[in-house]
Amino acid sequence: MLDVGRHPNIELLAYSEVEGLKGTAGEFTITVRKKTRYVEEDKCTGCGACAEKCPTVVPDAFNEGLGERKAIYSYFAQGIPSTHTIDADHCRQLNGKKCGICAKTCQADAINFDKKDQVIELDVGAVIIAAGYDVFDPSQIPEYHYTEIPNVVTAIEFERLLSASGPTEGHLDRPSDRAVLKEIASLEKQAKKSQKTLARFEEKYNESSASFYDKFQGGQYEGDEDRQKWADKYAAHLAIVEPLESLQKKAEGFTVARRLAFIQCVGSRDFRFYPFCSGYCCMHSIKEAIIAHEHEPETASVIFGMDIRAVGKGFEEYKIRGGNDSNVSYVRGRVAEISAGPDDNPVVTFEDTRERKVKNQAFDLVVLATACAPIKGMAALAETLGVALDPYGFIKTSPLSPVDTETPGIFVCGCAESPMDVPESVAQASSAAERAAEVVFQPEMKEEKAVA
Amino acid sequence: MCTGRVDPAMVAGAFKKGLDGLMVVGCYFGDCHYITGNVQAKAKMDITRRLLKHVGLNQDRLAFRQCSSGEAAVFVNLVSEFDQRIREIGPIGGGGDPVEAPDIFRKMETAEAVLAGEKIRWVIGKRTPFLESGNMYGEVFTQHEFNRAIDMIIVEETEVQEILRELREGARSVKGLAQALTIPSERVFKYITALKRKGMIKLDKVSDRTPYFQIIPQEG
Amino acid sequence: MPDQNEDIRIGVFICHCGSNIAGYLDMEALEEFAKKLPHVTFVQRNLYTCSEGGINEIKKGIQEQDLNRVVVASCTPRTHEPLFRSSCGEVGLNPYLFEMVNIRDQCSWVHMKDTEQGTAKAKDLIRMGVAKAALLEPQEPIISEVTTRALVIGGGIAGMTAALAIARRGYEVVLVEREASLGGMLNALNQVGPTMMEASDLVQEKVKAISEHSRITVFTQAQVTEVQGFIGKYHADIETESGVKKIDVGVVIVATGGRALVPEGLYGYDGKRVVNQLELESLLKGGLRPDVQNVVMIQCVGSRNKERPYCSRICCQTAVKNAMLVREQNPEARVCILYRDMQMYGVENEEMFRDSKKKGVRYINYTPEEPPRVEDGKVQVYHALLGRHMDLPADLVVLSTPLVSHEDAETTSQLLRVPIDENGFFLEGHVKLKPLDFATDGVFLCGSARFPSNIREAVAQGLGAASRASIPLSKGSVEVEPIISVLADEDACRGCGLCVALCPYGALEIQQTEKGRKVHVIDVACKGCGVCAATCYQHALSINSFTDQQIGAQVDAFLAG
Repeated sequence: MLDVGRHPNIELLAYSEVEGLKGTAGEFTITVRKKTRYVEEDKCTGCGACAEKCPTVVPDAFNEGLGERKAIYSYFAQGIPSTHTIDADHCRQLNGKKCGICAKTCQADAINFDKKDQVIELDVGAVIIAAGYDVFDPSQIPEYHYTEIPNVVTAIEFERLLSASGPTEGHLDRPSDRAVLKEIASLEKQAKKSQKTLARFEEKYNESSASFYDKFQGGQYEGDEDRQKWADKYAAHLAIVEPLESLQKKAEGFTVARRLAFIQCVGSRDFRFYPFCSGYCCMHSIKEAIIAHEHEPETASVIFGMDIRAVGKGFEEYKIRGGNDSNVSYVRGRVAEISAGPDDNPVVTFEDTRERKVKNQAFDLVVLATACAPIKGMAALAETLGVALDPYGFIKTSPLSPVDTETPGIFVCGCAESPMDVPESVAQASSAAERAAEVVFQPEMKEEKAVA
Repeated sequence: MCTGRVDPAMVAGAFKKGLDGLMVVGCYFGDCHYITGNVQAKAKMDITRRLLKHVGLNQDRLAFRQCSSGEAAVFVNLVSEFDQRIREIGPIGGGGDPVEAPDIFRKMETAEAVLAGEKIRWVIGKRTPFLESGNMYGEVFTQHEFNRAIDMIIVEETEVQEILRELREGARSVKGLAQALTIPSERVFKYITALKRKGMIKLDKVSDRTPYFQIIPQEG
Repeated sequence: MPDQNEDIRIGVFICHCGSNIAGYLDMEALEEFAKKLPHVTFVQRNLYTCSEGGINEIKKGIQEQDLNRVVVASCTPRTHEPLFRSSCGEVGLNPYLFEMVNIRDQCSWVHMKDTEQGTAKAKDLIRMGVAKAALLEPQEPIISEVTTRALVIGGGIAGMTAALAIARRGYEVVLVEREASLGGMLNALNQVGPTMMEASDLVQEKVKAISEHSRITVFTQAQVTEVQGFIGKYHADIETESGVKKIDVGVVIVATGGRALVPEGLYGYDGKRVVNQLELESLLKGGLRPDVQNVVMIQCVGSRNKERPYCSRICCQTAVKNAMLVREQNPEARVCILYRDMQMYGVENEEMFRDSKKKGVRYINYTPEEPPRVEDGKVQVYHALLGRHMDLPADLVVLSTPLVSHEDAETTSQLLRVPIDENGFFLEGHVKLKPLDFATDGVFLCGSARFPSNIREAVAQGLGAASRASIPLSKGSVEVEPIISVLADEDACRGCGLCVALCPYGALEIQQTEKGRKVHVIDVACKGCGVCAATCYQHALSINSFTDQQIGAQVDAFLAG
């Protein structure tokens, strides 16, 4: 990423979208909309002081909504460019409220609330599509209850939970437990506030709220308006403290998730959604299970899959190592259902195809290996660029021209073409660069012209 | 630059000047930006630690650890643990080491000379091939055999450097050296013979039928 | 050695980074502290040293204050060091007389809650940086010409694709093939999936394109027997039928492929009624005998076991494809594939897998604990999903054996000084980020020499390797950062070769000189890791910008605090 940002031959147009394409191979004109960041790119140094001071807190898309960020932000800490962006949907200033704290904080004078989108035209010889993929939304699978059961997460969410720079600093805290802790924090804040109010009364009447309340309920202070208020406040306080205490008690038993289930082919190899195999998910589940075990040696993981497809270099060896050293076991079979169990432990119902029995097993956390879906805007992008798609919505290529689209001069690499893992994507990126360079430099055509 | 650049002699040199602790943090094996630099860094630090322990330093003062640049939390843990350990041991030569100050600094100077020397650097450099593909005669060493060989070299090299140190202060006899350094005189005699052959020392005088040896100043 | 008489004038620029540093450290104290350090003649604080204004201040300092060393105390060198370096260069100060100190990431960020300690650490770092800066020496970038010709070893689909791509870019290619004709393993194949194109058509198409290409020279029945040199300047000997050809090339692509394991001694293999998939290909090519009505294929024969733990990636797709072709030729034939996991990864393979089931290919799951048994005319298997033993009649048993590395992979690896892994395949520079590069610059990798690949993958990798190889070819020269190993004290070097053995890049060699055997640093190959300098007992080798003296000065400066 850093290399891209620094390379003298690369002009990086982040936060931009392609809107149109004219011309033919070697002579394209491409229209790009540079969406406004409300921040001057050449002034912002990416120092982050604005984000620190910004009062508006928004769920952080980079952390899959598991963490929080501000309304002015950089997508993630090491992002290139480090230029910050104002989220127009949430920024107070841009939504007509008084704020502008970021503009006051910024010592580089980079904030510009009046900055508009810019539409530019570029002359290019070739185009490479590297638009990546979307994570399949597992809420479409009714039997997995992804949205209803809190401790069922997608692999990418799990990845953020495992990350030392993620919302839990790498501790496998369960979403249900994190929700409880958040609730506790909010109740504690309320309790503190009502405690303050009560303290004023207690000082005034020199009596503890509890003993006063007993008397009050005995009917002692009928008609005393001030004391009536005290009693109301105290009742409200109890309504906060009682659930708070029970939640705190519950939270005492919280531990990190140790029993993990990984469910393969969520949305892939499934005729209701995507019939293809997403290729990389078996390996990322094994990797996540091994890393979870590194974080917490008592972790035991079960990977449920039809076939465990460990087909890359060193992959089968990695899979075996997971089994031998990291408490990972592999169960052949598709999971029929995930249901809610006691203590927020999801229960997995599956057929153990070796024993030919249907079994139920409870886990602390269930991780869904979601399919590699074509990006949402792929159809529109394909239409803009005039390239053909395959039946699933990936860019169409052929085995002998694996990075050529059906339109000359336009190439594709990575998961925009079909699901693939990192080394394959990197190799394909080089392939696409090769094909693009052949068009851009056209030594053969030049020679032919010279001869003619 | 890589952790493989950390010169063992520099390590001893820094302790000599009063360093309390040194942690070398490299990449994981197989993930080294410089392919195998970290493997060599580990070999260097392992043997350096053995030597420093031999001459009287608390071996916890020198650590080799691994983590990746993406693992902030791991790194923080490594640093905190090491910091805590060094605080427990206290300043160098202040009671936390088998040898106390100021002797420890003299010992570190000896160690620095040993670590800058030919023999130990050959052994460090050849550690991985020795353990994996064997020496030039195809003999593969086990870790245990290798450590035994290393320890022998450490003892000998340290004693040689201590003898040279003494001689730098003036001519000495074999017996005198043996007493001053508490090394058996037959071993001192063996070293003296070898040093003489290498042209590093020469006979100074014979007094009372006892030969005294002195150092030959080296060029450069 | 640094010029002893030089008047060292160090300028220190301390960056506030807005409030990122200034908000947590005592900046005035740092300024006062820096002013008192030896050789420091100028200190300035900047709001953002990396901004245009900040850069101009550095330039002004060099010009007006006559600074000959610059230290910037700010953020990480990973992002801004190149900028600061080139800024120094723009006003005539050698870029390597610049030193950077990271007081943001290492001080203000990690000691946010402790201004005093954070500031104390920043002082330590600045003192160390200044001590090193005083000893810095100017360096010149190393530029080496590149011979604009590529050597491709191996004329299979990956190698042919790579050769054609490089030729299309306008560079000469020498393509060396061991066998009598180009095509590699394709020559032994029948039809290739998923399009079921005739393999021979594919070979002919590629061979024709190559033979028509004036920039490609093909040597068949030829072998590379010697390679000397480094990126940009390789000299190779190619042994051909008409004698040894000597060629000069700038880059080398390894596309030597693999070979199908012949399963001698496994499952009654006899090459007649029990064959491997490659042999089935030729049976299919000639037309299957009509009496072959019961075919059983066994997957993972000789792979995913103790001896060969890897999964060979392409055998499942080969089996599925061939199973369908058997059914095409003998439509009544019963074809059954005994498998452990069907490795039909991706879009096309899974499609083919579904298709085969529709076309009547049967699949039976077995476990390695109870492998199938081949008996006369039948195969006995424990059906792991049904939980019972079955007897399958078999006129032909086909064993899916893995692709293994080529016999001469080891020789090639030694010739090029590139590594092979425990399975005998070539080991790329980084398994994830540099799949087609070797750690050694100028040598690249594609196809089944790296790991078993199908045709789509081999073509993609061939193109990719060509792209990687074209970078030095199109630049015409390689430029290397001069922070590398140098033989600083030639007299001290004894030519013992310890450093040569330890260099991870093969960047050191022993040469016979007038003064005897001496080490020579191949500067374009050296990456400056420093292993050699930390190993040399004669202290003859040094690393530019990380000399013993410079590091020693930093250690001293640290301990002086």
